[in-house]
Amino acid sequence: MSEPSTEPISYDALVQDERVHASLYTDPRIFADEMDRLFFRGWVFIGHESEIPLPGDFVTRPIGTQPVIMARAMDGQVSVMVNRCAHRGTMVCSEARGNTRTFACPYHGWTYDLTGELLGVPYPTAYDGRLDKKTKSLGCAARVGSYRGFVFACLGPTSVTLEQHLGVATGLIDRACDLSPEGEVQLTAGWVKHRCSSNWKMLPENDLDGYHLGFVHMALFKSVRTQYNRFTGDEKSVKGVVRDWGNGHTEIDWSPAYDGPFEWFGTAASDVVGRYVAALQARDGAAVMARRVFEGPPHALIFPNLFLGEMNIAVVEPVGVEESVHWHTPMFLKGVPEFDRRLLRQSEAAMGPASFLLPDDLTITGRNQIGLHSRRTEWLELSRGVHREHVDAEGRRVSHLTDETTNRGFYRQYRKLMTGA
Amino acid sequence: MISESEHRAVVDFLYREARLADEGRYAEWEALWTDDGVYWVPASTDPAADPDRHLSHVYDNRSRIATRVKLLQSGYRPSQDPPSSMRRLVSNIEVRKAEGSELIAESNFLLAELAVQAKHEMHVWAGRATHRLRWVDGALRMCRKTVVLINAAEPLPNLSFLI
Repeated sequence: MSEPSTEPISYDALVQDERVHASLYTDPRIFADEMDRLFFRGWVFIGHESEIPLPGDFVTRPIGTQPVIMARAMDGQVSVMVNRCAHRGTMVCSEARGNTRTFACPYHGWTYDLTGELLGVPYPTAYDGRLDKKTKSLGCAARVGSYRGFVFACLGPTSVTLEQHLGVATGLIDRACDLSPEGEVQLTAGWVKHRCSSNWKMLPENDLDGYHLGFVHMALFKSVRTQYNRFTGDEKSVKGVVRDWGNGHTEIDWSPAYDGPFEWFGTAASDVVGRYVAALQARDGAAVMARRVFEGPPHALIFPNLFLGEMNIAVVEPVGVEESVHWHTPMFLKGVPEFDRRLLRQSEAAMGPASFLLPDDLTITGRNQIGLHSRRTEWLELSRGVHREHVDAEGRRVSHLTDETTNRGFYRQYRKLMTGA
Repeated sequence: MISESEHRAVVDFLYREARLADEGRYAEWEALWTDDGVYWVPASTDPAADPDRHLSHVYDNRSRIATRVKLLQSGYRPSQDPPSSMRRLVSNIEVRKAEGSELIAESNFLLAELAVQAKHEMHVWAGRATHRLRWVDGALRMCRKTVVLINAAEPLPNLSFLI
């Protein structure tokens, strides 16, 4: 065994415009830096307000490698706090979800309210009045913000607001929410968690890669007709585009290749769809309605861990430098519960360990992880299509569906945050 | 009560189904299904799990069972090409009559899988299976198979083989 290197890590050297270094996927020191700079000091997606609709509702989940609670207090406000007792570090709440008035630590009974404030400790006289309850809360996130029900937090101190972090990429979240006649999506079906033996960055990179479809997913395209088959022909006939919305938020837009409305949904003719279209039209007018049902939902990454996967919402959980978990749930549209069953079945077909797409992706990322241990070849290419990108009127970089514009956008933001620039 | 011979037939069916799945004999496995077959692997161990409201790992109708098999047969699925090496034990079998002539068999299973597609990881899968069986032309067929993994709600590695 060689001694671990103590040289400082230069992210400017490791993350270049058209290539990135393999150690980003294999070096535990870099993983530790990421957990600090991206998942502690940076804005990350935590959960959705529809998961905790009532006062007292809570969910627990890992954010980066930290256990976190998201709860709705009695006044309706959403709190995000670390699931760690201020006394001895015990994970206070072990349930995945529930409803409560208080969180009581099982070790010595320290009890907290739904905002994380310490309510009381047993046998308090032993502290002789020196225990300041205000400083012994469950560590609350430095900032919490919500955009159309999507809750984001920055656990550590930051000068960046959620508005600054999201930038114009709110348009991607809008594209999802505006498909609901009530303007809201609901994540109430529960999460499926898919484990893979690769670095977490492989997951968003693959989710936003339009180049692999015809190779990794050939079995599906050969077996059944899907809305993705049209993206596997010869290069010139592939009409989708990729976009970099800035701040690491990136998109694959399939809709330029669609021939008609609802191709993303697989059906356009039923009484339910008729009522749905009428409800959208009543709200938005005929032209906007027609655009919405033609374009469908976004396929986009909200940096670093939220994937708007068309009618699925997915979250990337880093576990260790070579292990990660891909969470997903279907995106129900409030106001059309009649779509839910279809969306459940589509979600099961697309994502999760037993689905028809993701197991193949995660096999490939697992193979990437093995290959990246090569010392002879140290770099990963990221140059595809760099000569043919252009900047559109909204300031977004746009290119051919198969180009690496998305992942160059990811790494621009990555380098910025990792270098503290 | 069910007869000794009927009990024996059910046990034979469960062993055969397990072996066909283990050995990747996809067409023979698919032929064990009735035309109205439903294959369900819930994503939680909660008995109240409802496939119409909650996300499942698998909730296949007969047509999707056929698609699942087609993908495995295509030879182009990186997650099962080459196929995992597998053996499962089926045990604690309890059989009872359902309405009509159908039978319900509950059993525990323990499955060792060597996932050879990337890092050659050994995975252990365990849970309880419920088979709903029907006599069709003198042979047992399954019309419903439900597999509740003990770790259904935990992060799972690839499950693209037949469980």
